[in-house]
Amino acid sequence: MTETDGLAVATRGLRKSYGSHLALAGLDLSVPRGTVYGFLGPNGAGKTTTMRLLTGLIQPDAGSIELLGKPFGRHDRRRLYDVGALIESPAFYPFLSGRQNLRELAANGAAVTPGRIEELLELTGLRDRARDKVSTYSLGMKQRLGIAAALLSDPTLLLLDEPANGLDPAGIVAMRETLRHLASIGKTVFVSSHLLAEMQQMAGIVGIVAAGRVVREGPIQELLNAEGIVRVRVALDQVAAAAAALAALGGPDAVSTSVAEPGWLSVRVTPDRMGDVNRVLGEAGIWATGLESGNDLEMLFLGLTGGEPVAQGEGTFFGMAGAGPSDGSTGTGVTS
Amino acid sequence: MKLFMSGLRKLARRLATWLTFALLAGLLVLIIVAVGATSDRPGRSGAERAAAISLVTFPGAYDQILAFILGLGGLFAVIYGAAIAGSEWTWGTLKNAVARGQSRSYYTLITFASIAFVIALGLVLTFAVGVVAALIGANLAGISTTGLTDSSTLGRLPEQFLRGGIAIVMEGAIGFAIAMLARSQLAGIAAGIGLYFATTFAALLLPDVVKYLPFSVARAAVATGATSGPGLGGGGFQAASLDANTALVLVVAWLVGALAVAALFTERAEISG
Repeated sequence: MTETDGLAVATRGLRKSYGSHLALAGLDLSVPRGTVYGFLGPNGAGKTTTMRLLTGLIQPDAGSIELLGKPFGRHDRRRLYDVGALIESPAFYPFLSGRQNLRELAANGAAVTPGRIEELLELTGLRDRARDKVSTYSLGMKQRLGIAAALLSDPTLLLLDEPANGLDPAGIVAMRETLRHLASIGKTVFVSSHLLAEMQQMAGIVGIVAAGRVVREGPIQELLNAEGIVRVRVALDQVAAAAAALAALGGPDAVSTSVAEPGWLSVRVTPDRMGDVNRVLGEAGIWATGLESGNDLEMLFLGLTGGEPVAQGEGTFFGMAGAGPSDGSTGTGVTS
Repeated sequence: MKLFMSGLRKLARRLATWLTFALLAGLLVLIIVAVGATSDRPGRSGAERAAAISLVTFPGAYDQILAFILGLGGLFAVIYGAAIAGSEWTWGTLKNAVARGQSRSYYTLITFASIAFVIALGLVLTFAVGVVAALIGANLAGISTTGLTDSSTLGRLPEQFLRGGIAIVMEGAIGFAIAMLARSQLAGIAAGIGLYFATTFAALLLPDVVKYLPFSVARAAVATGATSGPGLGGGGFQAASLDANTALVLVVAWLVGALAVAALFTERAEISG
């Protein structure tokens, strides 16, 4: 038995640089078989680089990768016969129809069973538009076709990079059900996404990556329980006093104030101590106007990656220490 | 074979394939028919008329048509090869194939094999179109077409086609390799066209060097005997040239070299986007 037995994906000490920029700084992933694994991280954290490494599009500077229990390196491309992938934006020949694109893609790699293409067109709701050129497809339709392409050879391991991009709500629900079903029949689904609420519904296990490293990994419920947070709202002029009082409860690092939601504080204590939070405030002469126990994936994510959503007009960017937006945007990160 | 047939299907459905063929064949027809229709225009000297009607006089027209196709067609082959190779990067479809476990170098070489097949087929079809156009031109000019069945010329045609086919495929491979290195359709096309014309102009200054370069050896390898002057769009330069057999060896060397570079580069490339 080795520590990677039973894992669909295992990376150890994975490092990758682009010039002077360190994209991955020793990534250790352990993705169990037969699960939906949510791979979360802010922009520039290394998610897409990881996806590219797992599909052999790029090679690591150091570290190792195992796919489905076997080493995966430059000369192990056939390992990908058991893997289906949607990396970044879906790529197709614009002059071919959806059906033709799947047919030509099937000429590569693992064999595709007869009727599989029609089955996938049905599954992804593209049958009615299967004869139309891909150049006429919307972003959501291309995304559906990308998911169909990833499923072409009925892979054991599915790697999906932001699969919900461009999908309408019905499409997201359908995708969620499909991925859950795949996991239920023993497939492994590795999904990177920014949609934290969606991941909380879909994934059984998550890995949170920041600045090229996994900062937390495990079953969602366990992580949420271990990283419990109680949120409390007080009058604006009492925020500082409340923060000082609550620091006595969980320590100074356990309390943070919210810039996005003035008056709200978060205390990193398990939810069963909500009464203690209320008591400490009361003893300090501060009356809470709002009190929430528990945690969700978004708060866990923000807590672990050191960012907080900041309202900036229509867009919201995560203010990250050392991991700013990689898309050239100028989101101003503010951390409390 | 599965991948090769897939490559052919993709090329057959592609606008660039039909546009390239239509443009080359259209220009050929236009020139030849125009020459036939205006051959007896008043004011022309006897020498001018003789030169013009040579384009529509068989069996010499065979060589003239082939020279045209290998001249302007060579430029089109460069552009076509670059367009197909570059789009694999631009559209991200190479990424799809690699992520499915396809061998990069195999994919590259088979993709080119399908391009080579289409280019060779285009050569034959354009030649056929040119012969029909020359027949029409001859009729318009009132010239006999008895040379059409000249056995000596027809006997040479298969070898000329073979040499021409390899030469024009090599020119396609040059464009293909450039676009693979540039990882871009537009950059590949621009660099291919630039190289073509740079060679043309460099032939005036460095003929002893340029005669070894791809576009020069492609012309020398065929040696139809026809001058591919500007009027026929045949590339328009007459640099010092090698003998046909030496040139053919160099054509094959350039072809193999271009494909090796394309395959090796793709094998080692970091694929993103």
